Amino acid sequence: MARFAMVTDLRKCVGCQACTVACSAEWDVPTGYARTHVRPTQISGTFPNLVSSVYVAQCNHCDHPPCVEACPSGATFQSESGVVQVDKGVCIGCGFCVEACPYDARYINPATKKVDKCDFCMARVGRGAQPACVATCTAHAKYFGDLEDHSSDVFKMVFQGGAQGLQTRAVSVGPNVYYVGRKEHLDLIRASFPPRQPRLPVAGEAWTRVLKPLVLAAVGATFAGQAVAFFTQLRKGEQDFED
Amino acid sequence: MTHGVSRRRFLGTVGAVGAAVTAAPTEVKAKGRPPGWRGTDRVEKIATNCEMCFWRCGVLAEVADGRVLRLEGNPDHPLTRGRLCARGNAGTQLLYDPDRLKWPLLRTGARGEGKFKRISWDEALDVFASKLKDLRQANGPESVAFFPHGLAPRFFSTLMKAYGTPNSAEPSFAQCRGPREVGYALTFGHELGSPEPVDLEEAKLIVLIGSHLGENVFTSQITAFAEGLSRGAKLIAVDPRFSTAAGKADWWLPIRPGTDIALLLAWMNVLIAEGLCDREYIATYASGFTELAAHVRDFTPEWAQPITDLPAARIRETARAMGAAKPAVVVHPGRHATWYGDDTQRARAMAILTALLGSWGRKGGIFLPTPVPKGSFDLPSFPESERGRADGAGTRFPLASEELGVTNGLVDATLSAQPYPIKAWIVYGQNVLESIPQRQRTLQAIEKLEFLAVVDVMPVEQINYADLVLPEATYLERYDPPTIVETAKTPFISVRQPACEPLFESKPGWWIAKQMAHRLGLDAWFPWETPEQHLAQIIAPMGINALELRNRGAVAFPGRPYLEDRAADAGTPFDTDSGRIELYSNRLKEIGADPLPRYTPVVAPPEGHFRLIYGRAPVHSFARSQNNETLNALMPENELWVQARSARALGFNDGERVRLENVDGVKSQPVRLKATEGIRDDCVYMVHGFGHRSKGLRRAFGRGASDTELMTRVSVDPLMGGTGMRVTFVRLVKESASR
Repeated sequence: MARFAMVTDLRKCVGCQACTVACSAEWDVPTGYARTHVRPTQISGTFPNLVSSVYVAQCNHCDHPPCVEACPSGATFQSESGVVQVDKGVCIGCGFCVEACPYDARYINPATKKVDKCDFCMARVGRGAQPACVATCTAHAKYFGDLEDHSSDVFKMVFQGGAQGLQTRAVSVGPNVYYVGRKEHLDLIRASFPPRQPRLPVAGEAWTRVLKPLVLAAVGATFAGQAVAFFTQLRKGEQDFED
Repeated sequence: MTHGVSRRRFLGTVGAVGAAVTAAPTEVKAKGRPPGWRGTDRVEKIATNCEMCFWRCGVLAEVADGRVLRLEGNPDHPLTRGRLCARGNAGTQLLYDPDRLKWPLLRTGARGEGKFKRISWDEALDVFASKLKDLRQANGPESVAFFPHGLAPRFFSTLMKAYGTPNSAEPSFAQCRGPREVGYALTFGHELGSPEPVDLEEAKLIVLIGSHLGENVFTSQITAFAEGLSRGAKLIAVDPRFSTAAGKADWWLPIRPGTDIALLLAWMNVLIAEGLCDREYIATYASGFTELAAHVRDFTPEWAQPITDLPAARIRETARAMGAAKPAVVVHPGRHATWYGDDTQRARAMAILTALLGSWGRKGGIFLPTPVPKGSFDLPSFPESERGRADGAGTRFPLASEELGVTNGLVDATLSAQPYPIKAWIVYGQNVLESIPQRQRTLQAIEKLEFLAVVDVMPVEQINYADLVLPEATYLERYDPPTIVETAKTPFISVRQPACEPLFESKPGWWIAKQMAHRLGLDAWFPWETPEQHLAQIIAPMGINALELRNRGAVAFPGRPYLEDRAADAGTPFDTDSGRIELYSNRLKEIGADPLPRYTPVVAPPEGHFRLIYGRAPVHSFARSQNNETLNALMPENELWVQARSARALGFNDGERVRLENVDGVKSQPVRLKATEGIRDDCVYMVHGFGHRSKGLRRAFGRGASDTELMTRVSVDPLMGGTGMRVTFVRLVKESASR
């Protein structure tokens, strides 16, 4: 069984946002939202001894995805190849997974009221193409492939080339998105964009056992309201995070 | 990509039975798309090339029911091989921008007031043609000046030459690459061209002097740059600002602005003094080494240190790195090179450094263009103007290109009526208020005109001053002349062809030119009916198939990029007077200029002022893309980089809005201040292209600040007329206090 992963080579990435736009065009992402986007770090240090880098934000397709735990409807699931996906037909747009994601990689699409995020372009991969971000990357800095395939670029970069997932002791969820580059650049993006603690409103277990039937019965207004509230919170949270 | 290929093959059969490539709806099942994708499964792919900037990358437009759904890189394109930048990916947002110019407009209000009435194409072309006839009659054809840019106006350029005016100027020369082309041509005998032939992927060392690759994104050059770095190339970034490239560099040299020639001379000094030059290459190909060695003898790193504000040891260390990596060193010639008015001499210094390292024509250096045979029409010769050019190319500016012209020379001529009066401007594909500095002078010149016609896609600033506005189709809706790129390691031809019908009443440039030619009695210069016929004639000697070209978008030819490929060729590879690389330039000596580059101090900022430097962002092109919905969302406005200590000392906070005021009292629109360690304390930086004043650009209007607006003074290069634009000095004004 495949184990899909993505690697960004920070030595090559120039932060040009080609991936951001290609992804948005591929998936009809509404303006102002993103499934993947590039965030430059602040310039760190004192003139003229400086470091800067870029962070490519997207779903990390975690081995232990808090979003799956948080999802009350079962819409968010992890496929056998490790790709965390959303069944849009089942999603109720409650936004709990948005809160749960340590990488802030999910958003509620205001048009569809469903959650959306990177799914490694499974539709493209299924027909033999590369994910849209990888295919367009001007610097050839993004690699996608199967960690079970020992001849793949991603295998070599992850197991031989020192590529690292973005996780901390506090938040250790097994990301399958990796970064490779100079130590100072890896250190800087880890310090600048650390994964946050998943915010699980109620323990996942409780959701599943007690509340799930209620949720399924009361699809709609309540959760839409909560989703808006959470979404607002999330936006505020993101701003704080940037500061 | 199997589906893409098969769909394009299918299109080929459509073409073979005689249908135009133009988006004839074709029943092609788009397998692999999620069901219901964009509400349709009738998708075909049209290969064309991009015009979100001027690199002309290969694009595939996915089209269904006459609507372009999405763009992606064309994997068959020899230069860009399937890659597209953010702007290229956002091209549909130009096509479907609701603010586009939609139909011909005739001015009804005062100039600048922006009042127009909608007219038909027939009326517009009749007005245009009768105006041009009257002007020719009354003032001679030279009284009409043409300001084109890009591929689209090429047919119209033919029209203007046939009409009889030699006065045509693109900003790509005197506001951009001009000094570089002249400096390298003086040294090596031919211009660099665009895309510039830099062998970045094979380089062992890359030297960027003010180039901010990464923020300045040209897809294939970024690909090659990143490839070079990942193969282990070292990087020297000379920049007063900690650019993206500086963040990747092995040596960042935060040079004092305006002192690049001193650094270049010191590097040459070390290379020669320490015997690090490619002596065999110089002996074989170059002349003037003895004079050069004597010239740079005293320009030691210690001499350069107080000038450049760079430690002598650092200068020496980087020179040695070049010596060790030679000849696989790319001293990147840069692109926008009109900085200080001595720019041709700086380009000369960069060219000489390249020669000392033996890098010209060598793997990992600057590669050589491979000529491609081109067909042409047997046109009547263009009328000769007795009065000559008005822009000073070849006279006032002896080394200026007569092909590209001097835009500011035409502004000067319009203002002074010297050498003769200019009565009309036709502006096509450039925004003269943003592309040419000294906006007030440009506006004064426009005031003097009898007639201003603008051909454009978007309602940019100059539209408000136009008498006649013609809406052009976007690059996704039109044919342009084919692009023949010889400055690629594999030279190629690529086509721009429509993916859909022009929206609204917009029209393609070839049609506009032919219509005008007919009205002006100049049909003889347009001996073709359709762009397909034009294309067939151009490619006739290439031995390629037109259908294949149109289906694949591009066809490549074998390249001979290195001197070693040409060892058996007769003659010299250097088209200079001497047939050698001219380290010492007799041509410059003849016209009274320095035959070897010399450092002369540039004007320093007055007390309390910063030098304004400017550059690009990867998501925008010049002042053209700020209204694009996708790109605007990614970067709606620019910000002003200020050294954190300076900001603190002046009482400004990070994120605060400030205005810039130049020494002539001109104030910018408010701009967000970015207090950062990543810039020297004698300059401030912003991305060019923001601060739009045209209300027709509803998203971009009033967002950010314009650097051009602050350029009330320039330093003109006497050799080629380029406007040095890094001589603008500004102070920061509190936004609340400035009202």
